[in-house]
Amino acid sequence: MRTRPAARAGQYAALLAYLVFLAFPFVWLASTAFKPATELAGLHPTWIPKDPTLANFRQAFDEQPLLRAALNSLLTASAAALVAVAVATPMAYVMARHRSALARAATGWVVVSQAFPFVLLIIPLFLVLKNLRLIDSLPGLVLVHVVWSLPFALWMLTGYVRAVPAELEEAAAVDGAGRLRTLVSVTVPLLAPGIAATALFAFVTAWNEFFFALVLLKTPEQQTLPVLLTRFIGAEGVADLGPLAAAAFLATLPSLLVFALIQRRITGSLLAGAVKG
Amino acid sequence: MSPMTRVRTLVGAIALALLLAGCSSGGTRDDGRVTLRFQSLAWQKESVEATRELVDEWNALHPDIRVEYVQGSWDSVHDQLLTSFEGGEAPDIVHDASDDLADFAYGGHLADLTDLLPERLTSDIPALSWQSVTFDDGIYGVPFLQEPRVLIADSARLKESGVRVPTPEDPWSWAEFRQVTKELSGDGRYGVAWPLKDPVSATLNLSLSAGGRLFHRDAEGKVTVRFEEGDEIVPRTISEQVGADHSASPTTLGSGGSDTLPGLFAGKYAMVPLGFSYRQQIAQQAPEGFEWQVLPAPAGAGGLAQGVSPQTLSVAEDCPHKQEAVAFLDFLLQPRNMVRLALGDWMLPTGRQALADPALRTPEHGWAVGTALASHLRPAPAQSVRGYPEWKDKVATPALQEYYSGAIGLGELRKRLEKDGNLVLARYQR
Amino acid sequence: MAGPTPTRKGADAVTSVTEARRSAPRAPGPARPGRRAVDHGPWFLVLPALIPILVLSVGPLLYGIMLAFTDAQSGRTEPTRWIGTLNFQDLLQDTLFWESFRIGLVWAVGVTVPQFLLALGLALLLNQDLRLRWAARALAIVPWAMPEVVVGIMWRLTYNPDAGILNETLRDLGFGGDRDWLSGLATALPAVIVVGVWAGMPQTTVALLAGLQNTPRELHEAAAVDGAGAWRRFRTVTWPALRPVALAITALNLIWNFNSFALVYVLTNGGPGGRTRLPMLFAYEEAFRYGQFGYAAAMGCVMVAVISVLLAVFLVGRLRGGDER
Repeated sequence: MRTRPAARAGQYAALLAYLVFLAFPFVWLASTAFKPATELAGLHPTWIPKDPTLANFRQAFDEQPLLRAALNSLLTASAAALVAVAVATPMAYVMARHRSALARAATGWVVVSQAFPFVLLIIPLFLVLKNLRLIDSLPGLVLVHVVWSLPFALWMLTGYVRAVPAELEEAAAVDGAGRLRTLVSVTVPLLAPGIAATALFAFVTAWNEFFFALVLLKTPEQQTLPVLLTRFIGAEGVADLGPLAAAAFLATLPSLLVFALIQRRITGSLLAGAVKG
Repeated sequence: MSPMTRVRTLVGAIALALLLAGCSSGGTRDDGRVTLRFQSLAWQKESVEATRELVDEWNALHPDIRVEYVQGSWDSVHDQLLTSFEGGEAPDIVHDASDDLADFAYGGHLADLTDLLPERLTSDIPALSWQSVTFDDGIYGVPFLQEPRVLIADSARLKESGVRVPTPEDPWSWAEFRQVTKELSGDGRYGVAWPLKDPVSATLNLSLSAGGRLFHRDAEGKVTVRFEEGDEIVPRTISEQVGADHSASPTTLGSGGSDTLPGLFAGKYAMVPLGFSYRQQIAQQAPEGFEWQVLPAPAGAGGLAQGVSPQTLSVAEDCPHKQEAVAFLDFLLQPRNMVRLALGDWMLPTGRQALADPALRTPEHGWAVGTALASHLRPAPAQSVRGYPEWKDKVATPALQEYYSGAIGLGELRKRLEKDGNLVLARYQR
Repeated sequence: MAGPTPTRKGADAVTSVTEARRSAPRAPGPARPGRRAVDHGPWFLVLPALIPILVLSVGPLLYGIMLAFTDAQSGRTEPTRWIGTLNFQDLLQDTLFWESFRIGLVWAVGVTVPQFLLALGLALLLNQDLRLRWAARALAIVPWAMPEVVVGIMWRLTYNPDAGILNETLRDLGFGGDRDWLSGLATALPAVIVVGVWAGMPQTTVALLAGLQNTPRELHEAAAVDGAGAWRRFRTVTWPALRPVALAITALNLIWNFNSFALVYVLTNGGPGGRTRLPMLFAYEEAFRYGQFGYAAAMGCVMVAVISVLLAVFLVGRLRGGDER
């Protein structure tokens, strides 16, 4: 199939427009993060800092408990990812291998839970966690993040379990291995890459999450990065732009890194699945 | 299986870390020592320093009652306190403003300090200030700092135009103010720039001078909104300055106070109505040679009266050591300490002794004008009305913003404030 | 449990779309009816996930619906009472809530439609053999990976009236450029919608791209040989194959956008004058600023109900539209 040169040129122009639209806010964030205060106060901002500096990063660390917040985020996100995968894997196994009423109900829940506005959930959740004395505590937030990331963890894992041939398990069962033994020694190792991708995805989700952290965490020492960043914006809505940009830039890096790691896997398996289907 | 072991170690480490993170934030410990968490909203560098120093001094003097400084933020204080109180995780001593206390006081989250406060404090702070923290006969906070709204003026522009310069003894009337701003305008310059990002408190508080009250309590104690003649004067003046006279800048209506400063420094605006504490930013940021002065806000039928919502210190109902907490407040609000806090925040102290301090009476930076206004300050209208915050955010703020920008007229403004407003208030007064 | 916020949720949507598609032909395989009868294993395996789901998702949901019929408020001085449908009656008269609801619909549609069109365009481009495709693919993922809070901050910097690049660019091009985008009454909602479109494009693009790669290439080539133009090829070959994916992702986007919170919270916090106060923000404030838990829960219920109805209408209409052709 040949495309006419004019059409081709149009396609490139369109692609370029997309590239600009997608990239420019991020470029601007980075540029602001490296600009000295004097340049930020000037009237005619430029794309590239004339005099790049790390002062904003230093100031962000000095004036805000950035490290503490990053640590909180790291802890909750890792814990949430590990727990989510730990509880989701057996359930996904059941959902993939058994057509019981339970599995159907779980699938239904996964779908329905996507449609609910979380405000209807957060109010009662807040009251429940209050009774469990889990408000303003990182373990409480971890629990919420776990349940919150379960739907997609189940979806992803169910797909991966289906990709493992059931015959392998049956062979192990014939050899006399118990159900649990089969799961642990045969299925899980085969699932490992899928479990890892799911865990990383859950990690990014929890790392980026804002709403629950905003409602549930109260004391400054407990807050996660996104919550801290919104505090940065300040009472009058006119924060120090430089340090704000610097902190926001730093908070994005882990997500971008993890995403770069699993992106190929996600889109890859997506595309493979699509083509096969 | 070594990957498995590694995962297990990782899980263990994270669990342990979470546990530690959870424990380190505990409040009172069991070693007989009392620890009080004090959430301060101080944000300007000088006032944060002053507050922290005072906390350190207290801790040095009272090894058994340790006060822990927690940094809060004005930005989200209401949401943050509400959810903390509800979740049982509130700090012991809470810094806030009197117009934000009603829901917490009525909701039983704050301790009634009536029988706890020392005589020294109750007699030092005037009754009008105490009124602003009194809800249903209980006292739910100690008002300690307040700021009148003043006009910050470009001295050169005033001199050049030859208008009469007002003083607290002989202020402008609202009509005179309008006339003056007209004279000061022209050539792309404006007599005044109203920073009305938060139009409600500015409008309501200044309206006291024109005899406005807006909130009316009936015999059964139910509150309704009525927008009457006295309530109209201030909004109408502003709207005419913007719309008819072009003597007020139309672009600053959505701005915060600090956003108007560059225009003031550049000579674009001759005057900006601002809170007294903005003087600090002006003193710091004004370019070399820029001369400025503080003028009283215009007066009306109600004289120079204007509403204020003093900053307050309250004790949480859940605090197990209320006596100790009040003792700390007593220390923090000793006259000389109150002066330090006031200087740090560039505000007026409520205490009579502190207010008499010479440091707060110098003409430099307009301190003297502010202190002369202190006796005219009244509790902001409606701050004891339940549901006021919701009325303010959802009804009054948008209605006033649209009115000032010319999108709606006075009739529609009245309708919204009254009809929509009373619906909101009714929900709180069942 | 309500799912992740829109940007995040894309992943499982996309996964779910294709997982469903991928698993369809295999599904009958492993499950053997005979084995299920004596099978007590699953309960044991399901329990670790089931308990948190019941305690922290299903339970709270039911509790939330119950709350809508009470006068639950913050504070401990007054006991919570059943008040029947009083909250809903109040809500009917609450013009502010319905205004917010209208804004929410404008926002949801205003974001979802351009999002879909732009994503479709990008997906079609990425499906071509173009240079620089790798760059676009990598970039298309970036908004997806970013925390929503950072997205909001980033665009605040972009929109900043003095220090922002948008006004500066407009100034350079001679279009004035002294607008305060996020606090102007007229510009705030459109400005926020642009951010919504930007943030939600990646997952829509990826889902559509997956759908595109699913269209049989031979058909395309046959159509080309027949002399069909690009537009006809798209209508007769590409679109029919893409339709199920497009429908699913649009429906999901619509829901997620309607429920979105963090972006607007950071960008405008509902201002100016409530012009960008989405229903989620409205309900959040009702609950956690004003402490009206019961009333806020009633809002949540109404939001769910209205959205379900709209969605049902949309899906039924679309599906029927498909049958007629």
